[in-house]
Amino acid sequence: MDFMTAIDVGASALKAERTHLNVISMNLANAKTTRTVEGGPYRRKEVIFKETEVQSPFSKAMNSALDQDVKGVRVESVQSDRRPLKQVYEPGHPDADEEGYVSYPDINVVEEMTNMLSAMRAYEANVSTITTSKSMFSKALEIGR
Amino acid sequence: MKSLFPDHIDLTAKVMDFQLQRQNIVSANMANINTPGYKARTLEFEKDLQAALGLSEAGAVARTHPNHFPLAFAADQTEASVTKSLTPRVVQGVDNVDLDKEMAAMAKNNLLYNTLATVMQKSLSGLKQTIADGGK
Repeated sequence: MDFMTAIDVGASALKAERTHLNVISMNLANAKTTRTVEGGPYRRKEVIFKETEVQSPFSKAMNSALDQDVKGVRVESVQSDRRPLKQVYEPGHPDADEEGYVSYPDINVVEEMTNMLSAMRAYEANVSTITTSKSMFSKALEIGR
Repeated sequence: MKSLFPDHIDLTAKVMDFQLQRQNIVSANMANINTPGYKARTLEFEKDLQAALGLSEAGAVARTHPNHFPLAFAADQTEASVTKSLTPRVVQGVDNVDLDKEMAAMAKNNLLYNTLATVMQKSLSGLKQTIADGGK
């Protein structure tokens, strides 16, 4: 059993949630973007979380079955949302098609805000697990005093 | 067997180990709070520990003769078991870890751990006191 596993697991979650927040900011920032490197308007991005090992394969093999069940989390990929684009009638826009419609990414500010809140709460929850682990460790250190 | 240290110290240490492990499990559940399809884990050791200590009513063995082997607690042979919930809990697609439950488990665990750490500290400081005063 590793003394620092709880902190490593918490740190993996903090990292993943921070990436989630970055992606949400990216979505909000690009709500009106019509030109991208890949061509076409910006597509809303979604992060995919995956449970993951916090230790290297070698140290994992040395652990008991109990410890191998403790999994961290990581962002597996950032994928484009498949929802259709929003068509807005703006004939004067440089990126308008022949009929005068501009394709914008379908980004709902309220949806992004709620996602941001849930990411923030998840981040806070993980900060509190790390704080608790830290207080346990310092309490254990007091035994020797 | 008589030893310098109080009898309960191995037991206390083992329970603290389990509680650290439980903290790890709670961390893992919290970390995967947004992971779709993640199955929350819980750590159970109280029942097994009671059985190991011979405190549980079920299957209790009485020591009827002084020549019988004592039912001693062996710290290195007691294990906890991790239980995985059978199906991921799906509410609105993403919520599969019960945050309130995990927070409560963590708070309880932390308090118990601190209590045991204090118990151990006090029993050791009592021993230290005895040694210090005995030498005077």
